[in-house]
Amino acid sequence: MTPTYNFAFLDENTKRMLRRALLKAVAIPGYQVPFGSREMPLPYGWGTGGIQVTAALLGPDDVLKVIDQGADDTTNAVNIRRFFARTAGVATTERTAEASVIQTRHRIPETPLREDQILVFQVPEPEPLRTLEPREAETRTMHALADYGLMHVKLYEDIAQYGHIATSYDYPVLVDGRFLTSPSPIPKFDNPKLDHSPALMLFGAGREKRLYAIPPYTQVESLAFDDHPFEIQRWEHQCALCGSGESYLDEVVVDDCGTRMFVCSDTDYCGEHLAEAVA
Amino acid sequence: MLAAFADPVFDSQRNFRELLQAMARPAVPRELPNLPPAPVPIIPAAMAILMTLCDATTAVWLQQPNDETTCHLRFHAGTRLVDDPRDADFALITDPESMPPLDTFAQGEMRYPDRSASLIVQVPDLRAHAGAYFAGPGIRQTAQLAIDGLPQRFWQQRAAIATRLPLGIDLFFVAAQRMVALPRTTRLLES
Repeated sequence: MTPTYNFAFLDENTKRMLRRALLKAVAIPGYQVPFGSREMPLPYGWGTGGIQVTAALLGPDDVLKVIDQGADDTTNAVNIRRFFARTAGVATTERTAEASVIQTRHRIPETPLREDQILVFQVPEPEPLRTLEPREAETRTMHALADYGLMHVKLYEDIAQYGHIATSYDYPVLVDGRFLTSPSPIPKFDNPKLDHSPALMLFGAGREKRLYAIPPYTQVESLAFDDHPFEIQRWEHQCALCGSGESYLDEVVVDDCGTRMFVCSDTDYCGEHLAEAVA
Repeated sequence: MLAAFADPVFDSQRNFRELLQAMARPAVPRELPNLPPAPVPIIPAAMAILMTLCDATTAVWLQQPNDETTCHLRFHAGTRLVDDPRDADFALITDPESMPPLDTFAQGEMRYPDRSASLIVQVPDLRAHAGAYFAGPGIRQTAQLAIDGLPQRFWQQRAAIATRLPLGIDLFFVAAQRMVALPRTTRLLES
């Protein structure tokens, strides 16, 4: 642990500001609370929002897990884990079941979460309507009026063009029947895990200076139409390492001839499943 | 003058985690782990919330201010104390029987519903598994909670405000070491 920083890097005033914003975010599920995002020792786009939320949460008793696309051992995950090990001295883990706080980039772990765990998402673009309406003043008004027709039109245009809803990640959800919310760029495979989750889920967008929350046991509905219901991805393959047919699979090119293999994106789940299969 | 948190960084962190879980799981009482001393009429649990969340950027309204409490809050937290409850980010209710109507406090704006007041209400007692049933986000099915010492009009005023969601007021109730949150989305079920 580096003693020259305050615990968990941020100063106490910043943590209090984040904590007040987090409480309002939980009180208004799915609503984006503006906050004073600080400059962090890594660039925007590397999880500065998630890091600030995690810094406001962490205490000396916490066990932190950080994943990047499901993996514990990629650059972003390793760096953030080491950052908090150095600035807060917290214990870290790669095991989902052992963690009290899990910071994630673009996945929800396959292992079901518990009530005593908190999931922190890194969010690049918190506004689900941004690609459809670039003006913040307009999207604020649309949220105020719950005017989400534009998003339905976008999904309808998918159906008109491709015959099905082609949005496969960052699939928009309606939280508690009120606020249209970006689940962050998780695959839509993970969307059902948002609905009535036992764990509290917090979302931080550093560059966009917004944070929001989905409380536990809250209705989270992925937008769809009666005749085109919401569906998650399915694979014909199973994981080449552990043989799982239930987890989210990454397609990996393994040589210069275009040979591919499919492996679990969640490395912790894959490792445990493999150990079970061997035993 | 009384002291504040013995260990400001970790005491407020532990309290915050309880407050966050309380807000995420409404109507379930929890214990605040670190209580600082507090001058009368403020109880330590209410002071713990103020010390955890308030600083020079928050406006605090006290229902029963006196010299000792205002000095204490200004010295330890640097809070801005306001005379008008409408300006409050945080309001401390020390006598619920004579509290102003709920709609006195800020409920936010349609574009910014987070610009609303959080109330800390000191009550004689609060108990789980008794009293009224509550439902809403964060509650699996229903939660049963009894809060003593609130006037009947309080619940009528809260129900009236609930028609304006997502605008509203978020409430923390404290009694001795215990604390429970009722965010704006939590509904009191008719029994």
